[in-house]
Amino acid sequence: MLQIRYNLIAFSLLIATWWGVVLLFEIPHFILPPPDRVFTTFYERFPQIVFHATTTASEILAGLALGTTLGFGTACLIGDSKRLQRVTMPFLIISQALPVFALAPILMLWLGYGFASKLAMTTLIVFFPVTAGTLAGFRALPQAWDSTFQTLRPKRGKLFWTVRLPLAIPYALSGVRIATSVAPIGAVVGEWIGSSSGLGYLMLHANGRGQTDLMFAALVALCLEALVIWSVVNRLSHRFDHHTPFTT
Amino acid sequence: MLTISNLNMSYPGNESLATISWNIERGAQIALLGRSGTGKSTLLNTIIKGSSQIMNHSKRLAYFAQKPALLPWLSVVENVLLGFKLRGETINTHHSERAMELLSLVNLESLAHRKSSQLSGGQCTRIALARVLIEDADLILLDEPFASLDRSTRIQMSALCKKLLDHRTVILVTHDPRDAENWLEYAMVLADRKLKGPFKLSDFNSDSVLIDALGGGE
Repeated sequence: MLQIRYNLIAFSLLIATWWGVVLLFEIPHFILPPPDRVFTTFYERFPQIVFHATTTASEILAGLALGTTLGFGTACLIGDSKRLQRVTMPFLIISQALPVFALAPILMLWLGYGFASKLAMTTLIVFFPVTAGTLAGFRALPQAWDSTFQTLRPKRGKLFWTVRLPLAIPYALSGVRIATSVAPIGAVVGEWIGSSSGLGYLMLHANGRGQTDLMFAALVALCLEALVIWSVVNRLSHRFDHHTPFTT
Repeated sequence: MLTISNLNMSYPGNESLATISWNIERGAQIALLGRSGTGKSTLLNTIIKGSSQIMNHSKRLAYFAQKPALLPWLSVVENVLLGFKLRGETINTHHSERAMELLSLVNLESLAHRKSSQLSGGQCTRIALARVLIEDADLILLDEPFASLDRSTRIQMSALCKKLLDHRTVILVTHDPRDAENWLEYAMVLADRKLKGPFKLSDFNSDSVLIDALGGGE
């Protein structure tokens, strides 16, 4: 409840500052429209905005699901072998270091202007934080525990499923939360490069026609969408985050 | 039970920590004292890992450390039975009953189904003791198991260990001889890269004798 109150205060401050800047510097509405114009456009064009927001949301959610599955799966495959980690680490770093903007034209060429290229871009952005988070979790087994586990004579697979994997879950979920906050970048960049729907497309479309109000309304919709998705994922991840490592 | 012959302990690339020869009879219970960094824990870890200089005739070995390696997402009884789970052995009614019996011996029966993360340090140490007991090991290595506990809990744990670890071979590593008082009678001292002793633990009631025995350290 307290968090909602803080969010409302922050949101009100943002709107007030925005309005103040427009009035104080007499900025023309085609450069920076005042909040009332943006919200009026948002209300009037609501069905159109919802249509495009649905496209973007489906790209973000599908990319999150695929990127999380691939990232978690990769970490599980290489988490038990330092040699495999050394071999794959350069590729993982490259997957993160290459800006998605640079890859977007290539992915468009290979996968077309439809859903698949946006899914690939979002997946690529989500993949690294989830993999890195989960791998950090696999490395979290305290060294001081080694001797204890050695005397319990565990089977390797059992040690993985009983100890290492559950220990890695909070770290993986932390990776998912970080990935969720950056996932919209993949979807929107994909829409900018080439698409016929989505909030990124709507922004470009409005920009080309000088409809700054609509551009801002689409931006507000994207912010709201990103916040809702992050809140849902955050809440879900905390439900599965059933323990804190190193409590004992 | 355990024969160590000219075991040279050293960290990779570093100078030698100590060279040790030690014969431990079956059923012997002895403290291993020494300043921090003299190689006490390294010796226990070498016994666990095995070495050509160590003849270990124990059937089962159990280890009880300062950090008890309890999995916070498991209940107390599940932590006691962890060894069976890790070995892929089926946990039957007999195992569960034995775990409850041991928890009752360490006064934790009422907390058996509580998550171990909700318990105090002293309670966690008692869970670790129950886990050592259920493994039914004949050689038990304890590495400063009470170091993080307060004085009164240490005394309780020491009494509990005396009662429950009877007839087993025990090596208790500690830098504080009070951890072994009212429980063990003899101690070896690892100092100046050598193993010295046995000493009577009661001799260390005088601080000057203890400081003299522990030597200059590293």
